[in-house]
Amino acid sequence: MRIIRLFNVVLVVGAGVVLVLIAYLADQSRTALGVPAQLTGWTLFAAMAGLALFNVRKKLSMVPVGRASYWLNAHVVVGLSALVLFWLHTGNAWPSGLYEQALALLFYLLSLSGIIGYGLQRLIPARLTQGGDEVIHERIPAELARIRDDVESILVACTEETGSDTLARHYLETMHWFFQRPRFFLDHAVSGQKGAHFVQHQCAVVSGYLSEAEQGHLARIGDLGHDKNRLDRHYALQSTLKSWLLVHIPLAAGVAALTIWHLVLVHVYAL
Amino acid sequence: MALVTTMTRPQRWDTPFGPDMTDADVQALLERPEIAAIDAEAFPGNVPLIGILRNDTRIVRYTEGDIVVREGDYGNSAFLILEGTLRVVVAPSLPRHLLGRQAVGKKGFFEALTQLWTNRWIPEVRDVGRYTGKGLRSDTDKTEARVFLQDVPAILDKHRTAALVEGQLFGELAALGRIPRAVTVFAETDAALLEIRWQGLRELRKFDENWRRRIDENYRENALKAALKETSLFKGLDADALQKVADATLFETYGSFDWHTTYKRMRQKGSAAEEPIIAREGDYPDGVLLVRAGFARVSYGVGKGEITLTYLGAGDVYGFDELYRSWRDEGEVSLQTTVRALGYVDVLRVPAHILEEYVFAGIDRPPEPLRPAAEGTLVDNGLLEWAVDERFINGTKAMLIDLDRCVRCDDCVQACASTHGGNPRFVRHGKTFDHWMVANACMHCKDPVCMIGCPTGAIHRTVAGGTVIINDETCIGCGTCANSCPYDNIRLVEIANDKGAPLLDEDSGQPIIKATKCDLCANNPGGPACVRACPHDALRRVDFRDVAALREYV
Repeated sequence: MRIIRLFNVVLVVGAGVVLVLIAYLADQSRTALGVPAQLTGWTLFAAMAGLALFNVRKKLSMVPVGRASYWLNAHVVVGLSALVLFWLHTGNAWPSGLYEQALALLFYLLSLSGIIGYGLQRLIPARLTQGGDEVIHERIPAELARIRDDVESILVACTEETGSDTLARHYLETMHWFFQRPRFFLDHAVSGQKGAHFVQHQCAVVSGYLSEAEQGHLARIGDLGHDKNRLDRHYALQSTLKSWLLVHIPLAAGVAALTIWHLVLVHVYAL
Repeated sequence: MALVTTMTRPQRWDTPFGPDMTDADVQALLERPEIAAIDAEAFPGNVPLIGILRNDTRIVRYTEGDIVVREGDYGNSAFLILEGTLRVVVAPSLPRHLLGRQAVGKKGFFEALTQLWTNRWIPEVRDVGRYTGKGLRSDTDKTEARVFLQDVPAILDKHRTAALVEGQLFGELAALGRIPRAVTVFAETDAALLEIRWQGLRELRKFDENWRRRIDENYRENALKAALKETSLFKGLDADALQKVADATLFETYGSFDWHTTYKRMRQKGSAAEEPIIAREGDYPDGVLLVRAGFARVSYGVGKGEITLTYLGAGDVYGFDELYRSWRDEGEVSLQTTVRALGYVDVLRVPAHILEEYVFAGIDRPPEPLRPAAEGTLVDNGLLEWAVDERFINGTKAMLIDLDRCVRCDDCVQACASTHGGNPRFVRHGKTFDHWMVANACMHCKDPVCMIGCPTGAIHRTVAGGTVIINDETCIGCGTCANSCPYDNIRLVEIANDKGAPLLDEDSGQPIIKATKCDLCANNPGGPACVRACPHDALRRVDFRDVAALREYV
């Protein structure tokens, strides 16, 4: 832990020094009627190449190329530095040409998705833990199917034992929707209680029409409903954790493509 | 009203060690001098000698070259030679490949890198050619398959060996002491051995004076003095004093040798495991306890419960502080803590008068008492208490995941797969406590019960580091290790050939199975890939016995 803290300090201080140095050299170049965009542009390109290496490192787990936690910290610091370099390079927050504007838009979206992703990674794990019942994302559909089967078995048993189909009809009319697949995605993603409320409400509504024997079956369905709600919460939060990368990585690919074309254009026509 | 189902209460000998033992075999054994000398009357009615022979022993026949026990293996039985001659390899030890063990070294950086393109998308692909000519004698019963030495004369030429002849007993120290086999023994000629499982051996030692003397003397001669000398208490003693200590030392065993099976059953039933008390807080100590094998929990009472203070493992001492203070005229000092067997523990008890005579006077600095070491609140101690209850204390490299940091990205699983031919060797799932999870990854236990009973020695410890690994080439997929692992950390997988076609047994048509588990990336450079791959530092391999390091981490 001490080593990684020291690494972080060195990283932040190093990035700060590099940025100040680049800003100074760019200013000197501007004063000497040079082309400061060359320096800031290539530095920015190097930083972006470095950022892309983080993804390469993930594929190289079989060889000792440094702990991924160090790489992530470097990715964050270099990513934020790239934002500053971008402003140094363009001279303002929003460039003038259409192509550059498209590039800037993608770059800002990329940076924003990175910052949001980092924030999500800091916030969501603890919420998952507090939800209890740790479950692997890929197993959630199977778990949901198991719960649904259990509920439907209870309903069949209830109908056979009591001769009443009140609970079964109620299930088919309303609760069936809930048990079909993950529900209340957005609500779970923002820590809402809609799912728990739905289960509670559905049970309360039908409770008054059930015999004592049916009440026992309803209680078990209620428990399974709450189990399913916890799975929904896991599904929503884990999906959110996984899906932000589906935005970040395509944006990174887009920025990389536009940047390379930008380099070609600049070197062919502008220099 | 619920229906009641009845069944016969399970008895100790419901499952005999050797189901093929006949009355004639037992009768023949009773006529042998080693058995005939036993006083059958000394055995209680519920554990008769004849019952022990019938149910706790079996006759095993070995062909020339068969390995009977391997150096480093864990075994739960001893052997009495009935016919034939065996050889014990004294020095140098047999090469690992001859013992059916993995001989592959660590890969270099570039060799490891080639896995980037050589890993397969098809799960559990194997090069079938590797399985031929591995010195395995197969059998219809997989647990009876053996590794054999193909060139015995060459072994005898190159290695110093000693003969073991008819009537000799061997393997009893490892069986009773839960320690690895110290040597390799193989059959020089065709041989018949009486294999006695530890339960039967314990009864023979308990009820027959000759067998007790034979086993204890053997231990005193071969291992006790070395064990005593390794502890800090007796390091400075000269040979005479050490002999006196050894002569007065008592051997005691608490808990169940096969604790893992009872623990598994208890877990399935959802009840807590029983922990036999070795010494109780408030009692007066009559000697110091040295742990020889297994684990013990040291605790003290708080309210109606107890707080775990520490855990004792091999080489640790209990009760010394209290005895020392009593000797220094502080009055009769009672034990400040309770010590219990965690599963199974084998202890040496050195009487107080021996310590007073040979040890206390030579001590410069009084020992640190255990009790004041207690620190933190009940909440602080919660994780450790849980780890003890779940027996994770056995693990030296348990995979501890901080769920408050873990983003469930499975980079750890992918990293594991990338270093194992595309097949992950653990599941990112397991028992949780607060925001901690101990994942289903091999913990490389201090007491590796998975190694007990492996018929080919495929599961073994590496020489460097003691990592528990499975040699895929000699694993016969019998599942003994997976069934023994109390933590469900060993998986049996169906394998395929390099074209992805499932491999089936020629005779039965059943899939060929191999046991797989985490090997701490033993062949790969850089240590466990899972730890390196976690971008959030959420995953650690921890030793729950290293309380100080664990407290610092959590």
